[in-house]
Amino acid sequence: MSRSLLIQLARLGDVIQSLPVIASLHTEFPKQQLDLLCAAPLVPLGRLFPGIHGVYPWEGEKWHSFSAMSNPDGEQQLEAARRYLTDLAFPKYLLAYNLNNHPRSILASHVLSERVIGAGDQGPLNPSCPPWVEYLRQVARERGNNRIHLVDAFCGVCGVRPPVVVPTIQARDVELPFDLARILNDVSLVKIGIVLGAGDADRRVPLLVWRRFIEACADHLPNCVFVLIGGEGEREAALALEDQLLPQYLPRILNCVGRTTLPQLAHVFNWCKWVIGSDTGPLHLGVACGAWAIGWYFSRARVHETGPYGVGHYVWQHQKSVISKNMEAQDFGQERELPCSWPVMETIQLMVDEQVGECSSEWNLWTSHRDEWGMFYTNGGKSDDMVLQRKETWERLSALGFHQDALLMPREMIAG
Amino acid sequence: MNLFQRNVEILRRQDPSIAAQVLECSGGVLSIQLAKSGVPTAMVKNRFLHSAYDPIREAERWAEHQVKDCQSGDTLVVLGVGLFYHVEALQAKLPQENSIMVVVPDVSELVDGLSVRSLDGWGDRVRWVCGTPEKMALQVVQQAQRVRLLTYEPGLSLHQDSFDTFRSLLCEQLSKRVSGTLHIMVVGPIYGGSLPITGYVVRALESLGHRVSWVDHSLHYPGYRNLETIRDDRLRLTVQQRFSDTLGVISLAHVAEDLPDFVLAMSQAPLSMAVLEQMRRKKVLTAMWFVENFRHFTYWQQMIGGYDYWFVMQQAACLEAFKNAGASQVSYLPLAADPAIHQSVALTSKEQQELGADVSFLGAGYRNRREILPALLGQEWIFKLWGNEWEQAGVLETVLQRNGARIDTPTSVKIFNATSVNVNLHSYTNQGFDPDGDSVNPRTFELASCGAFQVIDHRTLLPALFDESMMGVVKSPEELVPAVRKYLHEPEQRREMAEESQKQVVLSHTYAHRMQTLLSTMGLACPDRIGAILQGERQAESLLARSRECPELVSLLKSFPETDRVELVDIARTIRQKGPEAKLGREELLILMMDEYRQEKRDFL
Repeated sequence: MSRSLLIQLARLGDVIQSLPVIASLHTEFPKQQLDLLCAAPLVPLGRLFPGIHGVYPWEGEKWHSFSAMSNPDGEQQLEAARRYLTDLAFPKYLLAYNLNNHPRSILASHVLSERVIGAGDQGPLNPSCPPWVEYLRQVARERGNNRIHLVDAFCGVCGVRPPVVVPTIQARDVELPFDLARILNDVSLVKIGIVLGAGDADRRVPLLVWRRFIEACADHLPNCVFVLIGGEGEREAALALEDQLLPQYLPRILNCVGRTTLPQLAHVFNWCKWVIGSDTGPLHLGVACGAWAIGWYFSRARVHETGPYGVGHYVWQHQKSVISKNMEAQDFGQERELPCSWPVMETIQLMVDEQVGECSSEWNLWTSHRDEWGMFYTNGGKSDDMVLQRKETWERLSALGFHQDALLMPREMIAG
Repeated sequence: MNLFQRNVEILRRQDPSIAAQVLECSGGVLSIQLAKSGVPTAMVKNRFLHSAYDPIREAERWAEHQVKDCQSGDTLVVLGVGLFYHVEALQAKLPQENSIMVVVPDVSELVDGLSVRSLDGWGDRVRWVCGTPEKMALQVVQQAQRVRLLTYEPGLSLHQDSFDTFRSLLCEQLSKRVSGTLHIMVVGPIYGGSLPITGYVVRALESLGHRVSWVDHSLHYPGYRNLETIRDDRLRLTVQQRFSDTLGVISLAHVAEDLPDFVLAMSQAPLSMAVLEQMRRKKVLTAMWFVENFRHFTYWQQMIGGYDYWFVMQQAACLEAFKNAGASQVSYLPLAADPAIHQSVALTSKEQQELGADVSFLGAGYRNRREILPALLGQEWIFKLWGNEWEQAGVLETVLQRNGARIDTPTSVKIFNATSVNVNLHSYTNQGFDPDGDSVNPRTFELASCGAFQVIDHRTLLPALFDESMMGVVKSPEELVPAVRKYLHEPEQRREMAEESQKQVVLSHTYAHRMQTLLSTMGLACPDRIGAILQGERQAESLLARSRECPELVSLLKSFPETDRVELVDIARTIRQKGPEAKLGREELLILMMDEYRQEKRDFL
């Protein structure tokens, strides 16, 4: 059986969004044993991914330390790097699927594997990209009116179609602290995940908005509890939110912020019916663990690229975020304007009635769907021309295929 | 054969001459006593050199701390002899590839140790270096690979002067072996007396072949000066502080963009503690040359922990004060001159007329000068006073030139050259001469370097730099007028003395000399980084010699001229130049990977 490596060195959200491509690769090449290389802190989560055989850590800090050795001597540095890789005991890979168009990821793929599919397939120094990688670059650069979801583009990069069934993460075997387990195990309660944390400050929903949401939602859904989600860095924000809430709502709060490992968080999400938040890693984790998502997408977040993956999710897209062109130029050090209003009541209405009446003029509601070309979101349930053009884009990019080198890779080799 | 004889035999196997010296010496320097643990310990002048309870345990702890920084190939040179518990503990913890040398300024002390402590089983590995400080420094430089100096503090006190001399001679010897080049980032002040010195430092470092990046904050002086229009004192000070903080962050950005081997800050450089702490987090070595009187300018106390190395222009009390305040490394480094700037020049007759005089003084209007200099008025000579900060100069106003304007360096040089007797009085904010006057001001070196004659007030550190055959020295204000009169009538003597002082500058007191000392001091204190680079260990030739087991690296290194300094970034650049179609080996990929991480700057500010 051949052994291949999927390389995803980006953050939590991107690693979660790689789950479907793993499923597609598994379906397409059932005899191929697929390993995952991801950032070291995400390894325990990667071990829960269905279709993944082994998970290997990528420790940026280690590489930093090799490059900044106090007595840099080429040979000593090389020796340290070699020893590090040897200690990790990577198998010999014939093939690496590289999802990140970043020099480190490209180099890692060539260090660890004989052949590369994805970014860097032409060689570590070759700037040319395969069509799907070029497509992703273009999307990041121009933020055009594309409709192919990042997850599906990852599939394209790896030369497979979007998965027929969207995979999920099951983590109910992971042990939870007693107080969390007691509430989560109570099936009479509806659990709603509130994602407080965001990697970037400009994607953080203000605490006041969360307070309004929780108090209003608690009034409408009497049997719900709110599970606060976030990392170590959000502990204070979570406590501040609890301070702001009226006392009668406090028994409805389950504060998990900074208290769980990623596998435990996956377990928590396995119990959540809904997950609400901005475009963040935990929101996507919640979705991958089976929760329905209602995303509040603002700042740089765009529903068509990174909306929650699967059917039946909702995204409130802030309109100013969509119209921004040439986002890269804005990404560097500029403060972003927060929305003036938030779709608090509209979100609750969606949860209760699965529909909304009149929407705020600042936000548009998008609903997720899937077909053979992957995910797409519609506004008001109508597919527009761009949705229909996905087929054409798929065919065009797939017809361009892989670079010549990758084509030389016998399919049997991949399939084992 | 008793213990002492067995020890002498061990010494003889290694160096018969040391064994002979030991046999000729009677010892008796140390008072040997029994520690609580039952082993011998030693006392000198009522102070224990080793623990009175458990010298072995104490030595082990010392050795543990010392070996942490040791690198393969280091030669550990130990200062402090005592009963060598620390040496034995050190050798027990060191890998075989490291060697140990112990500096023995007094064989009597060694004899005392050899009488009560056995070298059996470990003494063969240690080389004992005896003789004069000159001889010992030379021997260490000749025999050691990469010198790492370790000090056993309790053992230093017995021969402090010898150790100090040894250390400075070792620096001097090592500076002669320099073949590698450093990248040094020099951060200067926005304005003030240390600004021209910063320029001289930059020139000196460049003249020594190092790559220098000068973060010149004087460019921002007009903006800083403009803040003086803010009338409210607190507001102005706050804004000036913020301005200065921003310049610190700018310095940090320069460091991030082009990482130096170390940052050399000059007095008044706008580097805040926050900026220095960030540099430390990023493993950037920092040094400060504090060219101010530490008693008058006390801001060093707040900055003391921020710099890895301090260089000061005063000795004894200053060094002690800095150490007590927490400086990890502090060294004496007097000021100097730049002979390319401070030189003999020919003046036009017009210049001679304006700038020339029998007697001149150039400097700011400090209190002691205002009180002493009037004595030079109404004499048989023409006296001219130059410089700024002479508001309300009283009787001196009649001789104040150019209305008290600041005099630039080229004009200063001309004034020095055009004056028969240059009076050089060190500044003092009180009456008379500074009773604590130790440091020697830059003007002393500059006048000497110009070949100009000077009469100078006595400073305790002056005799070590210039002797009285080179300049007229006065010990009190009352001696000034007679001295000026005496030398004014002795043009030949003046010329000879000035020539001697000029030679002395060229021989020992240029900024290049100072930078050599500074670098070798840092190299000695940091042998695996600064020292290794200075000794040429990062040159292609040296790297090649150490890269025999890595063929890919060898072929890459061969593409560089042998004497070029080669860093990871250079090797990575060579790999990238292979072009887009290149098939790279694993080692080449790893080098590129490390270079990718090296380039990351996002968390620098």
